[in-house]
Amino acid sequence: MSEAATKPSSGTVIVRTIVGIALMVGGMFVSKQFAEQFKTIEAQFGVPLDLGKTVATIGVLLIIFPVIQIFFIDPLRNAIAERNTNLENTFSEAESLRSQMETMKRDYEARLQAAESQAREQIQNSIREAQALRQTLMAEATEKADEMVRRAQEEIESEKQKVLTELRVGVVNLALAAAEKVVGENMDTDKNRKLVTEFIDNVEVAR
Amino acid sequence: MADTRVGRRYALALFRTAKQGDVVRSVEDDLNGIAGLIEKDESFRTFLFSPYVGREEKIGIVERVFSDRITAITMTALRLLVSKRREDEIIVVRDEFVQLRREAEGVLHVLVTSAEALENDQRQQIEMKLARKLGRTIEADYAIDAHLIGGVRVEYDNFVLDGSVRGQLRRLRDRLTRDVLKQN
Repeated sequence: MSEAATKPSSGTVIVRTIVGIALMVGGMFVSKQFAEQFKTIEAQFGVPLDLGKTVATIGVLLIIFPVIQIFFIDPLRNAIAERNTNLENTFSEAESLRSQMETMKRDYEARLQAAESQAREQIQNSIREAQALRQTLMAEATEKADEMVRRAQEEIESEKQKVLTELRVGVVNLALAAAEKVVGENMDTDKNRKLVTEFIDNVEVAR
Repeated sequence: MADTRVGRRYALALFRTAKQGDVVRSVEDDLNGIAGLIEKDESFRTFLFSPYVGREEKIGIVERVFSDRITAITMTALRLLVSKRREDEIIVVRDEFVQLRREAEGVLHVLVTSAEALENDQRQQIEMKLARKLGRTIEADYAIDAHLIGGVRVEYDNFVLDGSVRGQLRRLRDRLTRDVLKQN
């Protein structure tokens, strides 16, 4: 509803005022002239009907209506219009905010999904890596254990051979010690002389 | 403490002087006598090597003991060694002098060790065989070592001819040990 359409023109106001004055005067005149008749009607029917006053009242209303319109109805209408406009603005702003929020919400949900998906993928990667590492470590541990067993077996064998060798060398030493004792006990001057003679005859002299 | 390098220098100087005077053998005998006394007589050795006895006193005693027993050259050398506080080099000087004499004469020194004392004929046979095979004059020292059990061992230059029972047992032990180790 446009303000130009609702606001009455000044001509209308003047006409309305003149008519109002006429009605007021006319109504007063009628009320005064026919006061007795009106009282009779009121007494008869119980209805306080005074047409003169009624017309006068209408005239007064017509006179004061512009004033009411200027000082009350128009501001009120403006206020209502303004309020409607504000409400509309507020609603549109709210609508705009709501749609923004919807967009943001969609955006955040998308990002959240992407983050979840990325996190899930990282977890899967980590699990795969851990499994691969586990396999590697187990293989290494097995290899080390096998190596230790092999080395231990080699050491045992080596120690065994060492002990056997020491035993054999010990036997040789014992046998030769016994031989030395026997030879020493059986050596005499004649045998010694014979040894010296054999040495002189057979020795190879190196230059 | 004896130093072979110092002793060798003194020995070389003494040998050259003795060679000039053609008294090498005499000087060697003198040195053997002095060294023998030092090795066998503990009191003389203690006196000669004592750091608390003065040089003059040592020289006086040494002259009194040796002056009419050794050659003048040896006496001079002995006096010099004592005055220079090189008494502990006397044995080394003797050994080096003998070595120099042998080198000069082309004599080969041989050490013959036996379990029992060798007869003269055995000694001669050993020396003759070595002289024939090596083409050199042999000078042998004889020692007895019962540890050899029997037989004889001859050492010269860097060679050892081991005909002793001990040596044979050692070689047998070495061979048997080598065979045992080879089995592994």
